[in-house]
Amino acid sequence: MCFDYKAVTGLIFIGIGFLLPAYAPPAKGEVITGTDEEAQLPFWEWRNDVMSVRLVQRLPDQTRAFFTARGFTKSQAEVIAQGCIFQTVYKNIATPSKPGVIEYDLTQWKVLYQGDVRALKVKEAWQQEWEKAKVPQPAQIAFFWALIPTQQRFEPQDYNWGMTSYNLVPGEKFDLEMVWRQDGVKQSGAIRGIECAPDVELEPRNPFG
Amino acid sequence: MRNYSRFVVFPITFVMTFFITLMFATVVYAEKSQPLHPVTGTPMAPDFSLNDIDGKPHALQDYRGMVVIINFWATWCPPCRYELPSMERAYQRLKKQGIEMLAINVGEDADTIFTFTVDYPVTFPLLMDLDSKVIKDYPVVGLPTTYVVDSKGRLVYRAIGTREWDDAALMQKILDLKK
Repeated sequence: MCFDYKAVTGLIFIGIGFLLPAYAPPAKGEVITGTDEEAQLPFWEWRNDVMSVRLVQRLPDQTRAFFTARGFTKSQAEVIAQGCIFQTVYKNIATPSKPGVIEYDLTQWKVLYQGDVRALKVKEAWQQEWEKAKVPQPAQIAFFWALIPTQQRFEPQDYNWGMTSYNLVPGEKFDLEMVWRQDGVKQSGAIRGIECAPDVELEPRNPFG
Repeated sequence: MRNYSRFVVFPITFVMTFFITLMFATVVYAEKSQPLHPVTGTPMAPDFSLNDIDGKPHALQDYRGMVVIINFWATWCPPCRYELPSMERAYQRLKKQGIEMLAINVGEDADTIFTFTVDYPVTFPLLMDLDSKVIKDYPVVGLPTTYVVDSKGRLVYRAIGTREWDDAALMQKILDLKK
C-alpha cells in the first residue's frame, strides 16, 4: 500500500487551519459565587483583571412582574419567566495603566445541560416571537433594551447590565462556556453549576427578626 | 566631629517620601478615573426632534454651536438610575459654562418618567423617544450609553455604562471641547 505523504500532511495542515480559529484558549480567571448584595439572590461570577461577568438569579416572579408592567400579557410574561433568566452584569474592569478592549458575541457561548450543548436565547430570537405574536410596540421596546446586547465592544470601564435567557426551566443546573476577544485575541472561560432560580415566592421577611 | 547626617538624611527622606506618595496618588487617581472614549471618525450626531415630559420640543439642531451631552436611558435600568444624581450635579456646574445635557428616555411615556422623577429629581430636559427611532439612529446597543457632541455637531466621546459625571477630570474633558 502506498501513501502520498505530501497530500496527507497537506490535509492535516488544512484541517488544523480550519480548527485553529475556532479554538479559544482558556483565560486565567476565577469563579466566585455568593449572594448578590442588592438582589439578595445567588450569583455566579467569572473574573480576571480585565473582565467580569456576573450572573445574578432572577426569580420567575420578578420577571413576570417586570414584563407584565411593561405591556406583556400574563401568558407572554409567563413564557419569559419560565425561560431561566439571569440579571447579567458584564464589565470591562481594565484599568488605564493596563488597558484592554473586550468584544463578545453571545451567539458563540454554549450552555451545557445534561450532556446537550445548547445556545443562549438572544434578544433577536425573542424579538421574532414577539413580532409574530403582535406584542405592543412599547413592550417590545422594553424587552429589546432589557436584555443584554448580543454583541458588544467594551473599552476600559465600560459595562452593561441586562437579562440573559438560557431556555431552561426554573431550578435546572447548567454550565456556561463563554468566549470573547481581548485586544483581538480569542479567549474562553467557563462557569460550572449555575442554577436557574426556582419558581418560588419569597417568604416575607420578619421586620423584627 | 559633629554629626551632620540628620541635616542631609532627613530632607532626602522627606523629598523621596513626598515623590513616592505623589506617584502613588497619581496611579490611584488614574485607576479610578471616569473615562470617556473617543468616537472613531467623529461622525455627525444624527439629528432628532423630541418632546420633553412637559411637551416642549427639543431639536438637536437648536443646540448647534454648543457642547451637548446626550444620555440614553430608561427608568427600569439600574445603572441608568445610578448615574442620574451625578449627572444632575455635573449639569449644575456645566450649564453655567454653556454646556447642555439631554437625557433621552427609551420607550416610556411622560407619566412613567414624571413619577420616576419624584425619587430622582433632575433639572435637565428629559426627552421621550417613544418609538425608539432616535436610539436606533445612534450607535447604541445597550443602556445607559452617553455621547458627547461637540459644538460642530460631531460625536466626539462615548461612555457605555455608568460614570460619575461630576468627576473633575471627566468634566474638564468636556469643558476642553469649548476651547
